[in-house]
Amino acid sequence: MNRKWMFLFLMLTGLALTSGCWGKKELTDIALVSALGIDKNEEGRYVGTIQIINPGNVAGGLQGGGGGQAPSITTYSATGDNMVEMSRRASTKISRRLYYAHTNLVVINEELAKEEGITKIFDAFDRDPEFRTTATIIIAHDTKAADILKTLTGVDKIPANKVIKTLKFTEQRWGEHMEVSIQEGIKDLVSPGKEPVITGFRVNGNAEQGKKLENVQQSALEAILQADGLAVFKDGKLVDWFQGETARGVTWILDKIQGTDININWEGEQEAIAYQVIRQKTKVSANMKNGQPKISIHVRAEGDIGEVMVPVDLTVPSVLFNIEKTLEKEIQKEINHAIQRAQKNQSDIFGFGEAVHRSNPKAWKKLKQDWNNVHFPQLKADVTVEAFVRRTGLRNKPYFSNMESNQ
Amino acid sequence: MEKAKISAYQLFVLILLFEHGTTLLIPLAVEAKQDAWLAVLLGTVGGFILFWIYYGLYQYYPDNLPTQYVQKIIGKVLGRLLGFFFLLYFMYIAARDLRDFGEMLVTVAYPDTPLFIVNALLMLVMVYTVRKGIEVLARTGELFFIIVYLFAITGFILVIASGLLNLTNLKPVLEEGILSIIKITFTQTLYFPFGEVVAFAMILPYVNQSKKAKVAGLFAIGLSGINIAIITALNISVLGVDLVSRSPFPLLSTIQTIRVAEFLERLDVYFMLTSIICGFFKISVYCYVAVIGIADLFNIKESSRLVYPIGIVILFLSITIASNTSEHIKEGLQIIPFFVHMPLQVAVPLLLLVIAFFKNRKSR
Amino acid sequence: MPSFFKHLKKKKNSENHKESSQDQPNNRLLGFIDDSISINLDMIKQKTGNSSDVVIRTLNISPHSEIKTAVVYVEGIVDTVSINDFLIESIMKNHALQEKLTRENALKVISNNVAALGSIKLVSDWEQLLLSLMAGETLILVDGTNEALSVGTQGGETRSIEEPSTQLAVRGSRSGFTESIRTNTALVRRIIKNPDLWLESMKIGEVTQTDVAIMYINGIVNKKVVEELRQRLKRIDIDGILESGYIEQLIEDQTMTTFPTLYHTERPDMVAGNLLEGKVAIFVDGTPFVLIAPTIFIQFFQAAEDYYARFDIATALRLLRVMIFFISIIGPSAYIAATTFHQEMLPTQLLIAIAAQREAVPFPAFVEAMIMEVTFEILREAGVRMPRAIGSAVSIVGALVIGQAAVQAGIVSPAMVIVVSITAIASFATPSFAIAISARLIRFIFMIVAATFGFYGIILSFIMMIVHLCDLRSFGVPYMSPLAPFSPKSAGDTVVRLPWWALKQRPPFTSNENNIRQGKDQRPQPPANRGMVNSHTRKSDQNES
Repeated sequence: MNRKWMFLFLMLTGLALTSGCWGKKELTDIALVSALGIDKNEEGRYVGTIQIINPGNVAGGLQGGGGGQAPSITTYSATGDNMVEMSRRASTKISRRLYYAHTNLVVINEELAKEEGITKIFDAFDRDPEFRTTATIIIAHDTKAADILKTLTGVDKIPANKVIKTLKFTEQRWGEHMEVSIQEGIKDLVSPGKEPVITGFRVNGNAEQGKKLENVQQSALEAILQADGLAVFKDGKLVDWFQGETARGVTWILDKIQGTDININWEGEQEAIAYQVIRQKTKVSANMKNGQPKISIHVRAEGDIGEVMVPVDLTVPSVLFNIEKTLEKEIQKEINHAIQRAQKNQSDIFGFGEAVHRSNPKAWKKLKQDWNNVHFPQLKADVTVEAFVRRTGLRNKPYFSNMESNQ
Repeated sequence: MEKAKISAYQLFVLILLFEHGTTLLIPLAVEAKQDAWLAVLLGTVGGFILFWIYYGLYQYYPDNLPTQYVQKIIGKVLGRLLGFFFLLYFMYIAARDLRDFGEMLVTVAYPDTPLFIVNALLMLVMVYTVRKGIEVLARTGELFFIIVYLFAITGFILVIASGLLNLTNLKPVLEEGILSIIKITFTQTLYFPFGEVVAFAMILPYVNQSKKAKVAGLFAIGLSGINIAIITALNISVLGVDLVSRSPFPLLSTIQTIRVAEFLERLDVYFMLTSIICGFFKISVYCYVAVIGIADLFNIKESSRLVYPIGIVILFLSITIASNTSEHIKEGLQIIPFFVHMPLQVAVPLLLLVIAFFKNRKSR
Repeated sequence: MPSFFKHLKKKKNSENHKESSQDQPNNRLLGFIDDSISINLDMIKQKTGNSSDVVIRTLNISPHSEIKTAVVYVEGIVDTVSINDFLIESIMKNHALQEKLTRENALKVISNNVAALGSIKLVSDWEQLLLSLMAGETLILVDGTNEALSVGTQGGETRSIEEPSTQLAVRGSRSGFTESIRTNTALVRRIIKNPDLWLESMKIGEVTQTDVAIMYINGIVNKKVVEELRQRLKRIDIDGILESGYIEQLIEDQTMTTFPTLYHTERPDMVAGNLLEGKVAIFVDGTPFVLIAPTIFIQFFQAAEDYYARFDIATALRLLRVMIFFISIIGPSAYIAATTFHQEMLPTQLLIAIAAQREAVPFPAFVEAMIMEVTFEILREAGVRMPRAIGSAVSIVGALVIGQAAVQAGIVSPAMVIVVSITAIASFATPSFAIAISARLIRFIFMIVAATFGFYGIILSFIMMIVHLCDLRSFGVPYMSPLAPFSPKSAGDTVVRLPWWALKQRPPFTSNENNIRQGKDQRPQPPANRGMVNSHTRKSDQNES
């Protein structure tokens, strides 16, 4: 009796094994897509630019083959009415199957974001199991997305990596830009209490030269990809670009600053002291007062003095306290600036609506409908900053303070 | 009945793995939005009560399988009929869970493979295991318990290390009020996963330390309830309520967002591993109780011979119960709890317990 | 279609005439010794086919009457010195006693007074006589009596005690078993000097009459296991036992498995350790490999040294070994699954590197892996059979051809070479060869499954393997004890190894009677009141001198 079932068992197993393996993808049959760019052409169809990695040229030719003679990436473009069509139609040009699991960058054209908005583009990325929603999104500022993808870069072989790493480190060091993933973007699009804000990138220099291999064979590159500004959205459409200190104000409120440099004026000199923020914590809370929402933002920043350009005696604690007070005013100014600008754009990119929702759900129900257009522009934000100067580096007094007193 | 004995600790492990079975896959109590974890905890309490009912029945008839004592309580004909319904129920739920698994694998990892093959493979392994009996299943459970827990703790640490945990997503707590949470508990979390412990009513006679079995069972339900609540809260805090309600596999989406140290990314395969192990146990337990129940009702001596046919039935059932995922999920959320779970998990055992109570009081 | 099998089965049965050792040369029917010595000697010569190493020495033991005596032995398996000195010399030169000798009491006199040797017995039937002769005993035949003396004079050349070749240890005794069963049992007796160490001998194998002995410590061992073992050994009905492997395969619990259910070792200290835990050792003459029953899975990951080293390094090494075992099973299959089905798992940089390598290789990953694995198995077999002189040439060929040239020729990719090498080294690192063999075979199954279904297949096969392991029993003991079923008291010696003072109990599954192996409170604590600890750990007051 046992034999019969063993036979059946073996038959079933054999059937499963011999009918071929369906999901098999040999490494030589897949094209690793490192970045995807989305533009729109005159007919209103989407034009996708797909950046594919050439593994042989990246790894440095262990097999004795030619490495470094050809660029490490290749780009192809395809048109379609939606993302899926575009991706499949691209197979007419590409000798392999497009593999999106390692696509870490999605670039969106500025005009597309302004005119049509980004609300509908992300569904394919959200739904497909292969595509990672942890991929970063950026907006192409003053360029087409295709140009950003075609630019070759120096230190990093794969341009998509360069963009992502640049974004990461500038978020940590300078704080004007922030990394936004598809998942976060969708979350902000959907939530009534927050609007998306996405970093922009531009090609600095000669874009056409940037596409050639000679670009990376010189010490000073002809074209560089640079992070440039924060794109502010309202109802899924791009309405404004924030730059400079306004952009930093946004990241302050969103609690995304990990380190930056704040210059303050001192004793008549402009931008005389550089303060390096090392860590900070921003708390945003909302209260209802007389049926009106009131937001309080509390920032707590710690840091060191990085550079002084005036002979100030840093050994005296009261001097440090004064510096702290000036810093607090400076930060307050930046934040208020950012809030006013956003209120002018009638777009709550800070998530104040969500703060109201968390603290007072009932009130939120009433305010939800006209939040962006009515309540947000009118609300008052109370910003309190606590800045602490902890250390002054390896020196206390600057060397030129002795110089002047000696002469 | 098999001549097998399992210890109370093995019962604990089996119930724990069983409870985790498909719960890790499904978005649980989504209508409760950010209070889903509260609904889970309330469901745990309900689970305690249900287990207490099954244990009470076991105490009245410690050496009989439920298919036998049901006949003793309400008479032979009615009892056999009821027992048969229970067995059909077990097989149906086994098929449902197998379908859940197949869907998950096909959606996430093997989009080109036919569902039948994926299900057939799991069914083959399950048949191989169930033929060997409950002791082997319990021992395997003990080993896998350690593995699954290691993975779970590692995953948890990784999520926290990625800085993804955003507890503010859990607020506002009790936005809709406690009543709606209770309502959701009674329509969802009580039955799935906690009410499914009814399958263990068939396994209780095999435990050799009946006093400890109660503690083991309650402890297992409590621990798994806490685990599931933590996982639910984790999903909400990492993904946000909106994404959780739109994902068919929220835990997978959570794990997909883990990015630590630049190379620990894209860990969904580990999720697949853990969920396959837990799902395997759940389906095996259901298949096993169905097999011994049928062997008992129809007086078949060697229950291991039944496993193949029942396995094949479950396989085919899993393919035919729904033609697409939306139908499958809708059935599970709206039809099954009221018409199937509620009577068989709650109403009938409660009724049986009351009747047994009166019967035994009379006989004293 | 199943009836197809039935036909085969019937055919097989009819073809097999029942083979049993009844057809083997058998001495049972010959009866008893004769009175006349010449007839006896003729019978001996005939039965041994006049083998040239059977020495028949006739003597005169009594100067007066002509009592013909003969001393028979097989040269080479006896200790000729003791025969010459103690037997022949004593008989011939003991004039005093020779006065008293008559035909009737000759044997008694010799055995009581003359033969200054250890074991002596009287034999009277041919079967016993010839068996004793072949076992290395000397026979003394006296004309006129129908009995003979059989004196224990086993000896001859055997290998001296050397370091065991398979289970080396850095710390621990260096002696290993040899081929002589007496030496082996003596080695264990030297470690366990206790009268409770009991030894039961038997002869198994109709033609070879191999000495097999089982040894256990009475009072600790599980009597049921001993009884079961005895039954199984009695059941063995085969013509020859050449090695303990024969015994292992004839008494094991389940044949259809790659996992061994009996443990074998070459080291006396391992045998002693296992005996102390309540297991039974089986010695087989002619092989240095001693079997131990019952066995659990974890035992194959324990080396003798684990118990001599301290707990932290022992635990770390144990965990490492378990990890190594898993690598050796799953290594290549994980690589195949990751690069063929689940490319999203690998970090992008790694994926690019591997993709670059695979561009140059014509085969799919599975075929490449199979080529490498089979080549490696060939190399391994060659390494075992190769005479020492050419051994180094093999390693050079292996390294150059496989490693370097194949990669450069584009037949395999470097990543695959790395994976296969690590797997191979991992399989060498498992302490017990038996388990390494199982891992070798299972690895191929995993590779095939991985190539067909990716990680799903690996997980399912893994589940099946674990279910199979949990189903095995070795002499009634579940194979995966003490992890499953979990018994916390003996789990301290499995994947981790708690310090010796914490392992108070013996594993409960092997010894029911006597569980405690240590006294209370064995944790070493230097006494504080004798100034042997630092002052900051001292709990007593300062008034100590």
